[in-house]
Amino acid sequence: MAEPVVQTIHRDPALFYWILLPITVVMILTGVLRHYLSTLLQSAPKPQPLPNLRQHRSLMRGVNLRNNAAQISPAAFAARKDYLVQAYKDGKFLADPEARGKPRPNPMTDPAMMEGMMGMMKGNVAMMVPQSLIMGWINAFFSGYVIMKLPFPLTPQFKSMLQSGVGTRDLDVRWVSSLSWYFLTLFGLQPVYNFILGSNNAASQVAQQMAQQQMGNPMMGPEQDPDKLFANEAENLEVIEHRYILEGIEDRLLASLSL
Amino acid sequence: MAADLLQPPSFLRPAETLSISQQAPHFFRAQRPSILPYPLSLLTNTESQGKWQTYENMLLACLRTGDNESAYVALEELTKRFGDDNERVQALRGLLLESTAKDNKDLEGVLKSYDDLLEEKPTNMPIRKRRVALLKSMGRTADAITALTELLDASPIDAEAWSELADLYLTQGSFSQAIFCLEEVLLVTPNAWNVHAKLGESIYLSASSTESDGDRLKALSEAMRRFCRSIELCDDYLRGFYGLKLTTNRLLEKLNKTSKPATASSNALAGDLAPPSLSSVQRLNELATSKLAEIVRRSSSGEKGWDGYDQAEVIAARELLDRDTQGVQR
Repeated sequence: MAEPVVQTIHRDPALFYWILLPITVVMILTGVLRHYLSTLLQSAPKPQPLPNLRQHRSLMRGVNLRNNAAQISPAAFAARKDYLVQAYKDGKFLADPEARGKPRPNPMTDPAMMEGMMGMMKGNVAMMVPQSLIMGWINAFFSGYVIMKLPFPLTPQFKSMLQSGVGTRDLDVRWVSSLSWYFLTLFGLQPVYNFILGSNNAASQVAQQMAQQQMGNPMMGPEQDPDKLFANEAENLEVIEHRYILEGIEDRLLASLSL
Repeated sequence: MAADLLQPPSFLRPAETLSISQQAPHFFRAQRPSILPYPLSLLTNTESQGKWQTYENMLLACLRTGDNESAYVALEELTKRFGDDNERVQALRGLLLESTAKDNKDLEGVLKSYDDLLEEKPTNMPIRKRRVALLKSMGRTADAITALTELLDASPIDAEAWSELADLYLTQGSFSQAIFCLEEVLLVTPNAWNVHAKLGESIYLSASSTESDGDRLKALSEAMRRFCRSIELCDDYLRGFYGLKLTTNRLLEKLNKTSKPATASSNALAGDLAPPSLSSVQRLNELATSKLAEIVRRSSSGEKGWDGYDQAEVIAARELLDRDTQGVQR
């Protein structure tokens, strides 16, 4: 029975001091830098002007009325319904009554929208630039180095992850190339940033990209015409069938308290 | 201590508030940032989820007990953390200024500063609400009502503001407006049993001010049903049972007097509910009486799990029960 041959590669100990350590330190420092850069570039979210707030919340009031109509008496409901439907149809709550009926302006020409997009661009640039710079730096100086050996065995599937940049088929998976070390630090430093910068930092680009994907869709989608929303809600209110929750409450209560 | 401090102190009893505010100096000392240099100070970071909530509650507790120095320290910490233009911090600062104001002139100054802030940023809801509260405490109820209606025009889904407006209208005796406001509160928070009971109380009050007999019967049964709903949502709600007892007492008188239940007064077309039947009112009355008696008995003997009731409310309930038994003896 032949023992599996343990690959031994004699590494220069200087590899540790001149490649492994520098990459790690540089990655951490870039994260910190990115955090401060993005806080610097971040423009505070612009406060909503009062008419927009009113428009949004008035619409919400209609939705609330529709959802919780059972709570109030039929007379009270009818009065509210008539008022809201009429007001919705007249566009009483619109933030911009002048723009009613006109087609939506192109979002590209709207300065407020432009500003939002610029903010996003800035964030993206702050993320992309250092990433590509460092990747180029590592590729130029350290490509092809095997810099460390993991203390545990792994299956061959990890080969592409741990040995990118080293095209040797027979090399044991436990050896890690410099480029792979870069990727490992890129994705795995979040806890370190949390420790240094506090829990909601902007250092990790992975977390940021995820947040952007979640946020991006409603922001990028075409904003709906508020007038249409109001008309829609008025229709919803008109067709609702009212049921009063206090109907037969005495019997319900008596039955539930089993008297 | 931390668990206590995470609750808003307005729900605490005076004694508890006092004990919290007495801990304030100790608390601030414990929260002080360490004096270690930068990398080491990371190890002793005190920032946590509840920290700033705790600060705010500490501030409120200190204001309630008149410990203005500690309140000021807490406010300074909050300002340092969140900045001077944070809306909530601004409202807390206003609160501190209001409570340390010596005379009416100071209060006018605070009011002026609120107006300036609102001029700058009309969507500043915390400051708007503080302005209303200040107007109310200065006794300018009409102005407070105007300010609140303006606020509600801009933000009609604010349950807090609606119920405050209902309170103000109740003090003015405008019951129908108060009822409207409470209904709006219910549209936002449909399962708030205290609001159901409050609405019942308002309807009950309005019943005493109506002239026609049929209207009064209708209002009383509506109030009774509101109390029923409130109890349905919260089994041991004392105010609900109190109101139920009160309304059923009145209803029994009424229904007994008019031997034939006035079906004519209920208008089916408007969708009003018919007045309740005599037997169910009677049973509800019995239910309320027994439950109230149980609450009074258990709460005054300090049984475990029954000691959360407000003392004043328990006394009022006992008084109501006593009045009832006296009526029977006579």
